[in-house]
Formats: sequence, structure tokens, C-alpha cells
Amino acid sequence: MRHTAAKLFATVAIAASLATVAAGQATADPTVTPAAQDIVGTGSDTIQAVLNQFSTDYNASLTAAHDTTSPRLYSWDATPAGNITPKTGASTIARPNGSGGGISALNNNTHTTVDFARSSRGPQSTDPSTDDFVAFAQDGVAWAGNSTGNAPANLTTADLKGIYSCTITNWNQITDVSGYTGPNATIKAYIPQLNSGTRAFFLTAINGGTTALTPGSCVQSYTPEENEGTDSVFTDANVIFPYSAAHYIGQTVGGHTTTSDAPGSLTLRSVDGVNPIASNALNPTFTGSNYGRTVYNVVRDSEFNGTGTQATALQNIFGASGWICNDSTAAADIASYGFAALPAFACGAVVHS
Amino acid sequence: MRRISPRIAATVAIAAALAVTGLSDSALADTATTTAPSGSLVVQEDSTFLQNSLQSGIIAIALPNATPGFNTTTGLSATFPVTGGAVHLSGFYGAAQLGGGLLLVNVTNGKTVIFNNLAFDASKWALTGVPMGQTTAVKLLDPARPVISTSGTTQTLNSSDLEIDASGAAFVDNALGTTFFAGRQHAGTGTLTFTAGS
Repeated sequence: MRHTAAKLFATVAIAASLATVAAGQATADPTVTPAAQDIVGTGSDTIQAVLNQFSTDYNASLTAAHDTTSPRLYSWDATPAGNITPKTGASTIARPNGSGGGISALNNNTHTTVDFARSSRGPQSTDPSTDDFVAFAQDGVAWAGNSTGNAPANLTTADLKGIYSCTITNWNQITDVSGYTGPNATIKAYIPQLNSGTRAFFLTAINGGTTALTPGSCVQSYTPEENEGTDSVFTDANVIFPYSAAHYIGQTVGGHTTTSDAPGSLTLRSVDGVNPIASNALNPTFTGSNYGRTVYNVVRDSEFNGTGTQATALQNIFGASGWICNDSTAAADIASYGFAALPAFACGAVVHS
Repeated sequence: MRRISPRIAATVAIAAALAVTGLSDSALADTATTTAPSGSLVVQEDSTFLQNSLQSGIIAIALPNATPGFNTTTGLSATFPVTGGAVHLSGFYGAAQLGGGLLLVNVTNGKTVIFNNLAFDASKWALTGVPMGQTTAVKLLDPARPVISTSGTTQTLNSSDLEIDASGAAFVDNALGTTFFAGRQHAGTGTLTFTAGS
């Protein structure tokens, strides 16, 4: 049973994508310096690729409509580390990495520097109530293990909590997974960096869905970039790492990979017996559990519900009547990058802390 | 769907409107160790929608244990109590079960339709109800432009644009013999408050 997951998910990887979006990653960082009036964001690693595709396609739609004046959409990747100047006239800031980083950049600057933050987590009590988390798709957070390693195809929530709180440190302590007899080998649990929305969400999900678990001392101090199974640490047979199921589908089915942004040595596994993937897409049973999450673009309420060019642009892109929620190309982008569409009338929902 | 005379329909409507005493239809039996979820869905009917529906001979009545309300400023409303379920509003999954029912009467021809087993289904993002005599829920109202917030174990959904669902419109028009309802019709506003059980 040990390698069932690897075989199962290899099938997913081989399956051809029916999506109309071309394989490969949309352009990463903006290739031009965005104008001062453009809508510019930073933040989450998980949704950076789909936002890059949105940028390409939204801007193309304006051009196709011979609209030369409306603000364009641009999104800066979460890595590499260093400084960026997001747009013309902006302050130079340390590149935000992760949802928390993007949200901090949004709150610590004005629209002259950034207009929105990509977020793969929902609002927290520490977020200002003036931040609007505008929902646009669904994801699920599962875990991944080395494709030929010692991890089982499935772990229960109790197992995951035990592993990340360090009451379970050896595969032979996993006794509640049918057909699996773990070898006597030390588990190497990794977790993304502190500003990661995936980290925050995963630690909450495995702790029952309300409050985040504090990782135990056995959890590796090195924090690999999320959704990048290409990191050399993952060649170890005993690794375990949280992973966005949508991002994994985008990589394996949609073909949206780079040299680093790819599953590499990792394959996605089940939680509580539920496979995160069904028919090459997110499994609704999985997203309808504590492991399902909504992904957002975060904007300042006063700007989103304000007046003027920027407010109009924010609504035209992110709002319930905007491009992301209504355009067929945006819908194809969401599917191609592995995410699930929200129910009708839910896209564009504003969520507050 | 039933056919009754307009006079009887009016009587039923008035009786239903007045019958607001607490007949608990909670799906969750109270036990010593379980606290049922609580909260409500408050629907504030749009005055123009109300006026137009009355001109078409259609009366909507909230049945027990829902509570109708009237305010000279805001007009008619109905409050449906949360009776069970589990919902994660910002996760868009789960459902809140609601008490009471919804009676719709066409006073011009006596046709009626009653929806029971009301629920807010977050995965469908709609208020649903099961027509009397049937088993499949119909989507009735869609909360467009939602704003969701959470405080402790209480989740709140506000919709400034509660719209008639297209499938519900077709069902009710067929049941009542009308052509009044349409998908995306603005029917009012809605506020769902859901406090999880323990």
C-alpha cells in the first residue's frame, strides 16, 4: 500500500488537460513598470500563477476592446526575495512573500504602491476590518509526501495533528490507516514560512478548524517555498509538507509549471480517506470539509466601495459584476490553474474579520 | 400544488400570517449534551417587488414557526429561525436548516404552493425549500452581493440584493399559473445569522 498514492497521482499527472488555457506559466513579474493608476498586487504564492494569467488575459481584453485608458492589472510574484518598486511613483518595498506579507504591504502602504493583496487565507482577527477579502475561487489544502517514500497514501486529521505537534515522530506510530504498516523511520515534517496563507490554513485545519496549531519542536526549521516539490529536501523518503490541491492540479493537469514551481519529488495525498482530487479537478467532498478554503484578493474597503478611477477599476476586476467573476476567459483560467468556481452569486463576496 | 377558491386562499393566507406561535419543528432533538445551532434568516421584502406581486394577485406568507413582521419604514419582513445544520459561509459549504415554511397564493385563481424544509445551502448559495408533496429542494432566493463576517462562533451573511432564483421562478410560476417571477428579480434584502451548536 505504501506507494499507492504515487501510482494514483501519476495518473493525474499524465491526464491531458481539457482546459483551453495554454500550458506553462503566465508571465511572472510584470514585464513593464506598471503605471501609477494601474491595479497592482503582491502576496500569496498559491494564487500568484492564476493572478498572472488574469493579468495577461484581463489586459488583453482591454486592448481587444481598444480601451487604452483603463487601469491594467499587474501582480508581483512572491519570490525571489529582495526589493521591488511595484509601480511608477511607488515606494520601494521588500517583496512580500505569502498572504500575510501581501496583506501587510497593503496595510502599510497606500494605493500609490499597492492596490491589492493575493490571499489564500481568510481574514483573521488581527486583520483590520477595513480590509475587504473579495472571494474568487475555492481550493483545498492537503499534504504531500515523497513519491517513492515512506508516507502512506492517506493520513487522518489526528495523524497530521500528531505529526505537527510531535506526538507522532515515526512512521511506525501511524496505526489508523488501513493496510499501512509504517517502517521504523523518523518523519521529517516541513511547513511553509510564517507569512504563508497555506501554513496558517493548514495548521488551523489539522487542529479542528478554529485555531491554528503551534508546530512542535520536531518540525523542520527550514521552510521550503510552498507548492514547490522541486526543493532538494523533498528527495528524502520521509518528508511531509502541506500542499495546495488546486496548485497541484494546475501543475499536473494544467501543465502550469516552471523549473521550481512544480511537484518535483512530491505527490499529493488524502486526508481522512478523502482524495483531494476527483476527475482531474478538486474533489467537492474535500473542499466541503475543514480542508476546503476560499481564495481572495484583498482590497481596502474605502477604495473598493469608493468613487473614481481606482474604485471603478477595482470593481471592474474583482467585484461581483467584474471580469474575474463573469468573464468566460477568467473562468477558464480558474479551472486551468486547478481552482474551483464559487457558486453563482458567491464570487465577489466580501468577507471581513 | 393545490387549487382552492380565492376566498379560501385569502382565509388561509390570513390564518397563516396570524399563526406565528411557536410550533417547534427543529430537526435537532434537544439533548442534555448538545446545544442546537441558533440564529435566523431575516428577509426584508422590497416594497416595489411587493407592490408588483400584489398587483399580479400573488401573496407570500411566512408560515409557522417563521415570524412575519411589518415596519412602516421598511415594510414587510419574515424571520425564519435557524433550527439545525452546520454551515461555513466563507467556505461556501454546509447548510443551515430553517424553521417555518413559505406559502405562495395566487388569489386570482386559487392556486397555492407551500415550501417546507427551508434551508440556506451555502454550496448552492441559495435559500432552498421543498415543495409540499415533493422531495427535491428548489432554489428560491439567491443572496447576491454578499458580505460575510464572523465573530466568535457566529457567522453573518448580509445581502443587499436578494434575488429570485431562475429555477425557483419557473417552478412557482408553473405552480401558480403566473408569469410574474423571473430569475435575478430583486426581491429584497436578507440577513442570515448562524451560531454554531456545541
